[in-house]
Amino acid sequence: MKIKITIALLLVVLGGTSFLSDAPPKLHYLKLTFPKDWPKPPKDIFATNPLTEEGFELGKKLFYDGRLSKDGNVPCASCHQQFASFSTYDHDFSHGFNNSFTRRNAPPIFNLAWMKELHWDGAINHIEVQPLAPLTAANEMAESIENVLRKLNADTAYKRMFKAAFGDATINSQHMLKALAQFTGSIISCNSKYDQVKKGTASFSMSEEQGYKIFKAKCNACHTEPLFTDNSFRNNGLDINLQLADKGRMGISNDPSDSLKFKVPSLRNLYLTAPYMHDGRMNTLQEVLQHYRNGINATQPTLDSLLKNRIAVSKKEEVDLLAFLYTLTDTEMVKNKRFAATATYKMHEGPH
Amino acid sequence: MRTLFICCFLCFACVDGIAQPAHKKTTPTKNGYVKITFKNTINGQPVVLNDSVYTNPFRETYRIKKLKYYISNFQFSLVSIKKIVPVKRCFLINQADDSSLSITLEVPATRYDEMGFLLGVDSVLNTSGAQTGALDPLNDMFWTWHSGYIMQKLEGTSPQSNIVNNKFEYHIGGYEGESSVLQTIWLNHAISVEKGKTTSIIINADIGKYWNAAYPVKISETPVCSTPGALAKKLAGNFSTVFSIADVIQ
Repeated sequence: MKIKITIALLLVVLGGTSFLSDAPPKLHYLKLTFPKDWPKPPKDIFATNPLTEEGFELGKKLFYDGRLSKDGNVPCASCHQQFASFSTYDHDFSHGFNNSFTRRNAPPIFNLAWMKELHWDGAINHIEVQPLAPLTAANEMAESIENVLRKLNADTAYKRMFKAAFGDATINSQHMLKALAQFTGSIISCNSKYDQVKKGTASFSMSEEQGYKIFKAKCNACHTEPLFTDNSFRNNGLDINLQLADKGRMGISNDPSDSLKFKVPSLRNLYLTAPYMHDGRMNTLQEVLQHYRNGINATQPTLDSLLKNRIAVSKKEEVDLLAFLYTLTDTEMVKNKRFAATATYKMHEGPH
Repeated sequence: MRTLFICCFLCFACVDGIAQPAHKKTTPTKNGYVKITFKNTINGQPVVLNDSVYTNPFRETYRIKKLKYYISNFQFSLVSIKKIVPVKRCFLINQADDSSLSITLEVPATRYDEMGFLLGVDSVLNTSGAQTGALDPLNDMFWTWHSGYIMQKLEGTSPQSNIVNNKFEYHIGGYEGESSVLQTIWLNHAISVEKGKTTSIIINADIGKYWNAAYPVKISETPVCSTPGALAKKLAGNFSTVFSIADVIQ
């Protein structure tokens, strides 16, 4: 009897308290997983934004929702297409609002947790504030934050999802940005053939193995394993496009020694992200290798010291190197339904 | 049975710990309050947006449309015992919003010799992702294309401006290394705070000083600043000279 009373009391206490404190609905916490031998991210991007199933799903819905743009046609996903490793397939520049073009090639989205800065010039200092740039840029989504919040707050489905993820049905910019970060920050590429070889569940062909050796000798200094980038800013000796007059990192740092420096892109999913370079000027990997072989403009004072003598890659080596680079294609990530638009809110196809 | 009772008790204790904010568990505080009011003035008169026409020391006439700036990381110092009481809060002072011009802080009751505050938003808050409240990007004080807060915004028009619509626009920011515009402003004045009571501090921000402090700002020559860098630093240096304590009322 006493036991029963105590249990009843216990239930009243627990039930009563959760009601009084208006605790948010139960959250399903997630953990960012990546191979054990990878370096730790420089900072925990989810330290003040605990990753949950609810936040992730909400972020995904936002990512594929055209209403984040002025005319409804330019969701995040219009420039970041999953089948192209979340870059824009076959476009040097992406299409923005009202038949405009972006000024740079849309970078793919994966392994963002390891990037201290985002964008080609490192203009963005935190994953959570990144969406503010495309959202408000006149040649991208061209919308104001006020309008986006107004549209979202008018949608009861969103209000329910924000309540579930953040305990607050009134949608504000902070929660919207944190949800988007939960989605984009969760996209990890770590299951290419290369990764499987590292795990011991696959093996390289002779040509891939040979290519791997060439890669380690000639590419790994900047495109460092296992992320295949050191996320630094370097000038790789491209002639400046005078129409764009894009000085890269210098535009952010105001430091002339940063002139023409751009972020070293990851080589993961390289076969899905053509065209190449910050302005998408090269259509094929053969062109890229030709550039490093003898296209580098060595007169530029900020040219990276590792490229002063160019990179000698023979035609025979090129075949093997390309075979190796193909093993960096992560089909699982690109086809993962978890990252795909779900049928109920299939994205509005943007203008392509 | 006893175990169950202990369990039950622990649950109570636990729930109590969650439900109660930490500070309520401490003994009654010996704190008081300071209410700081920012009076933005020119020639001793409150700044009137849009309508008033002002003249700077270079005989350039101008109207002000926007005047906004961040104030954060307050410090109250007791010089005799070399103690500083920090108050980590951040506010946006906006001349267009009367309710933003007064802020209230809780501090230990004592007699302070001077107060300080950071003019701007510190580097930690600049790099900590999406914020809310005073730091919500909706306040139009965040550079979306180059992450970071605009620390001070002064916008208006002047016939002497040679750019579109005779505008001038000073967006002053930068929190990193060489380009940091952050400065702590110290204002020397006795400030007595009594337990449970509020002391009012009136800060005069003489915006007229902005144009000709260490760096002369002629609208005809420099109508715009919109990036961190050398110019922003000079303008921030000017801005830092405008503050003084006009009165402390107990």
